[in-house]
Amino acid sequence: MKLRKGGIADSGSILQSSSFYKIVGTPSVLLLALLFMVPLLFILTKAFVGEDKTFTLSRVFLLAKDPYTWRILRFTLFQAFISTVVSILIALPGAYLLANYTFLGKKLIKAISVIPFVLPSILVVLGFVIFYGNSGLLNQLLMALFKLEEPPLKILYTFKAVIAAHAFYNFPIALALISTFWEQLPSRYNDAAMTLGAKKLTIFRTITLPRLIPPILSASTLIFLFCFSSFAILLVLGGGPRFTTLEVEIYRRARMLLDLEGAASLSLLSIVVNIILVGVYIWTQRLVAHQEEIELIDQKRLIRREKSVLIKILIFIYLAFSSLFVLGPLGGIVYRSFTAPVSRGGKVGFTLRWYKELFGSSQVSSSIMGVAASALLLSFVIAFLASFVGLVFSTLLSSRLRNQKGRYSLSLELFAMLPMAVSSVIIGLGYLLISNWLNPSHLGSRALVVLAHVVIISPFVLRTVLPEYRKISFSYTQASLTLGANVRQTFWFVELPLLRSALITAFAFGFALSIGELNATLTLADSSLVTLPIIIYRLIGSYNFAGACALGTILILICAVVFFVSELVKRGEIK
Amino acid sequence: MLKRYIYLILALFFIPLALFGRGAKEEPATTAYLTVYAYDSFVSEWGPGPAIVKEFEQKSGIKVNLVSSGTGGQLLTRLVLEKSKPKADVVIGITNELLHETYAEDLLISYESEALKDIPSFLHFDPKYTLLPFNYGNYAFVYDSQKVKEPPKSFDDLLDPKWKKSLILIDPRTSNVGMGLLQWTIAVYKEEYLKWWEAVKPNVLTIADGWSSGYGLFTQGEAPLVISYTTSPIYHIMNEGTERYQATLFDSGNLGVIEGAGILKSSKNIEQAKEFIDFLLTDAQLEIAVANVMYPVNEKVELPDAFDWAPKANPSLFLDSEEIAQFRDKWLNEWTEVVSR
Repeated sequence: MKLRKGGIADSGSILQSSSFYKIVGTPSVLLLALLFMVPLLFILTKAFVGEDKTFTLSRVFLLAKDPYTWRILRFTLFQAFISTVVSILIALPGAYLLANYTFLGKKLIKAISVIPFVLPSILVVLGFVIFYGNSGLLNQLLMALFKLEEPPLKILYTFKAVIAAHAFYNFPIALALISTFWEQLPSRYNDAAMTLGAKKLTIFRTITLPRLIPPILSASTLIFLFCFSSFAILLVLGGGPRFTTLEVEIYRRARMLLDLEGAASLSLLSIVVNIILVGVYIWTQRLVAHQEEIELIDQKRLIRREKSVLIKILIFIYLAFSSLFVLGPLGGIVYRSFTAPVSRGGKVGFTLRWYKELFGSSQVSSSIMGVAASALLLSFVIAFLASFVGLVFSTLLSSRLRNQKGRYSLSLELFAMLPMAVSSVIIGLGYLLISNWLNPSHLGSRALVVLAHVVIISPFVLRTVLPEYRKISFSYTQASLTLGANVRQTFWFVELPLLRSALITAFAFGFALSIGELNATLTLADSSLVTLPIIIYRLIGSYNFAGACALGTILILICAVVFFVSELVKRGEIK
Repeated sequence: MLKRYIYLILALFFIPLALFGRGAKEEPATTAYLTVYAYDSFVSEWGPGPAIVKEFEQKSGIKVNLVSSGTGGQLLTRLVLEKSKPKADVVIGITNELLHETYAEDLLISYESEALKDIPSFLHFDPKYTLLPFNYGNYAFVYDSQKVKEPPKSFDDLLDPKWKKSLILIDPRTSNVGMGLLQWTIAVYKEEYLKWWEAVKPNVLTIADGWSSGYGLFTQGEAPLVISYTTSPIYHIMNEGTERYQATLFDSGNLGVIEGAGILKSSKNIEQAKEFIDFLLTDAQLEIAVANVMYPVNEKVELPDAFDWAPKANPSLFLDSEEIAQFRDKWLNEWTEVVSR
């Protein structure tokens, strides 16, 4: 056995031979295989079916030869790369502040910054337009302030707008992952370097940054994959087909041309590209993974009140920036939900009408009593179940991945990341197949929705838990085993408590992702299962944008509360 | 210490589970019923689906299971994917555009309903009557009357430099409305349609991915003109009481889109399915028109006053579905080439 940093080889034969660690990963692997891999493979094999229903490679070859394919692939990679870099750059200063200082409103920032992440992309687009648009709130404000005739800010409908919207959507992931990791880095190396006379910047560059690479890479991969399949944001805010991604092409073939074979071959291409990228990432991640001693956050090592004015100013600037950047578009959604035309000429004014309609206290021809209230409850239940199950499965899988190295576990990790690498159009087709095969009952289709959500959120939960798990020194595990605990006890009473903070973050993310999920729910559920995003989608489809914004506001509120509570729990303020 | 948490977590886990179970008890009785696939907005609380199903069940005593099957294009895909194990008896919402593809899959039976005699002949888009028209609309540019005093009357008018960055269009690669606009320009300009697209570029603010985002931008005031339907103003009149948004007809005519319904060959309830189709083309017409904000096909229907705000296209243009099927890919390629330049 090869010796590695931290020495898995010497971590004892108990760990290697324990059946506990071997079987713990099984449930999530099984679920992934059944709900995701099988239907996906079925759809993807269509890429190799020719006109005469026989096996052919010509479709794939033709595609690979077409310069247009390569042009859009290049652009897809390019915009995803830029978006990722920008998101990380925006998140880093925030992660630094969150991890190292305590200040008023810190928990609130953490809670608010994650919200964009749960909104359906159409609401993100609307929010952006309401706030930054040519006749948006920001421009109206500036025009009123400086008595201008023309809107001064023309931010939208350019490539920059796309990057900004992607960053708005994604930097919260980076902020959460990096700051959670950073908070728990032991400061002793920094202290040692400081004692030896190193400058703060040198310490950051040579000690802190290298240790932060795992969460940075982790966040980057997620963001990259998100932007890789971007669609609505790119077309609308970018101004049109100049900015075309592979996802648009897949959609066009699957939905407009009903050419499933063509869609499958394109999707195959994007999956291959993504798998290569994720593979490279996982490989690098392993090279740089250090075993750190986690410091329990209860010990409050970080609580440092900064006296220096400079830091105070920096904190203030970052707060102002992130509020404008994140709260602006969110505020746009909230604003729209409280306005309605008040005259025949179409002047708008303040109203509570949309909320009254949603909750059935005012009866209008097109509203039904309590639709929103029951959808709210249902969404909550589904999100809770899905994130709980997802958390359990992914933690077990992480435990297995940590204790096993080599090619097998690499492919297992790749496998678990797959749901993020596949186009949502193709996944949607897969779900159609599943629901046709299983022909679920009423209750069954609900269970299926929960399980589909588990599959969707698992990559996130895994990416949050795994880097943290790898950080746990094997010496803790060994010590526990030496002192007479068995493997199971070690897992429950030594490893899990050390992961507390990451588990909570992962749960909150899973919850948010599930409560905002639309695609799978729409395809898998029978029509009686109505969640919040489904109502939002339907309202928008029937002209009621303000009503959709009202529901969006409710979604925003729920998520703010969930993240706020999760921060409290993390810090042990709620036990 | 951890044990305490486990109980807490378990408790939290089971409370929702209990609620979840309670919601599941409303299982319908297991009498044989008609399974109807429709696009999502038809099925939703805001669509015509729930009301007409209730009415039909009361009238005929036949139970209906209305299933949401995503957007229009997905309906056919779903039927094709389910070919080996068909579930639906009736499908609602395949448009005239997809007639050729529907023929090719050979999924539906021919049914010449009695009700067709009240439906004007220009709407009989399927000569074999596998798809029967139940609802139609015309694409049109909708304008904001606060900003536009003289609405454009033709595609040529839209090229006027005064409309610089004033149009919100929709991408034909990702949306039926976008596809409708592309076909409309082809119906008007024939071979020359790409010239119009080249010339209109400076006047386009953005090309949205779908009707929802495009129309959302429009009502947000980002641009005074958007591609939508002649019937769009009706919504604003009926639900918001404002006449601010109006549709403009083009002198060349406006492209029409007809939604059809059909009965599946695999159905074991053909007679009940026929009854449902008849109902759809007669008694359900008003409900469908109002909820879908589209025109009814049945001439006998008396419409609410708000429909006066939806001007009738003269004429309704249609492309041949064979032609569409043959050239769709080519058009999209050419279009993408020109517009992304």
